[in-house]
Amino acid sequence: MKKLIIISAAALFVAFVVTQFFQPEKNISESTENLVINSENMPSEVKEAFQNACLDCHSNNTKYLWYHKISPVSWMINQHITNGKKELNLSEWKTLDDYDKIKALEDMKQEIERGTMPLKPYVMMHREAKLDKETQKAIIEWIDKKSDELMNQPEE
Amino acid sequence: MIRKKHFVITLFALFVSAGWLKASVNPTETKAPVMPDNVKAVIEKSCFGCHNTDSKNDKAKEKLDLKTFDTLGKKEMIHALGEIAETVEENEMPPAKFLEKFPDKKLTDAEKKILIDWAKSEGKALMKK
Repeated sequence: MKKLIIISAAALFVAFVVTQFFQPEKNISESTENLVINSENMPSEVKEAFQNACLDCHSNNTKYLWYHKISPVSWMINQHITNGKKELNLSEWKTLDDYDKIKALEDMKQEIERGTMPLKPYVMMHREAKLDKETQKAIIEWIDKKSDELMNQPEE
Repeated sequence: MIRKKHFVITLFALFVSAGWLKASVNPTETKAPVMPDNVKAVIEKSCFGCHNTDSKNDKAKEKLDLKTFDTLGKKEMIHALGEIAETVEENEMPPAKFLEKFPDKKLTDAEKKILIDWAKSEGKALMKK
């Protein structure tokens, strides 16, 4: 019985070590002018909020924590990033047309107002991602200003 | 005799005003947003059941309330239309679990196209208005 436990523990350990060699590709690239916080004029607190609460999953640049590099956590994180970027990739912000920008802005507003974004588990692990009431207000003000601007723009 | 006449007139007036009252309350009750008939038919078949003010499905009506759809602001409407196009396009709606129970509510490819085309063109048209 004891032997069996030792063998299975050893097998698990080996499996754990082996899986470390299989890692998802890192979501890291150069920050470009297409990134929302580079291409848009916004107050510094809004910029900071984007950086701290959104861009890890909604851009081409994730700030990884040490344990994000350990499988299977690395794969879970990778899944979040893939989904996040599919929904909205803020690294491509400048390339979106006005219609897509309005949709994205309204989406962001709704998620923030309802508190569905940033995701709760993410906020638990990243305290700086918590958006207090004032920051929420500042972001929504920026969103409203930006979307009004886009709506009132004459067709190019 | 006059009394009887009065009574009849009053009764008649009551009857008419009650009917008018009912008529003025009811139309909004089942009113779907203003949209072409083919779109309306698809929405009534597969969406309206959960996405309306009186729905018991809180999550669905919070996401999209088709009964109050035409009261949305321009930007909100563009957003809602965009979400409709997206969720239908990616087969996220109607939900798979719901379709297991009500397979007849499944959207055909033709119906999907009707919804998606409408939502997209309507959304883009709103940008220019």
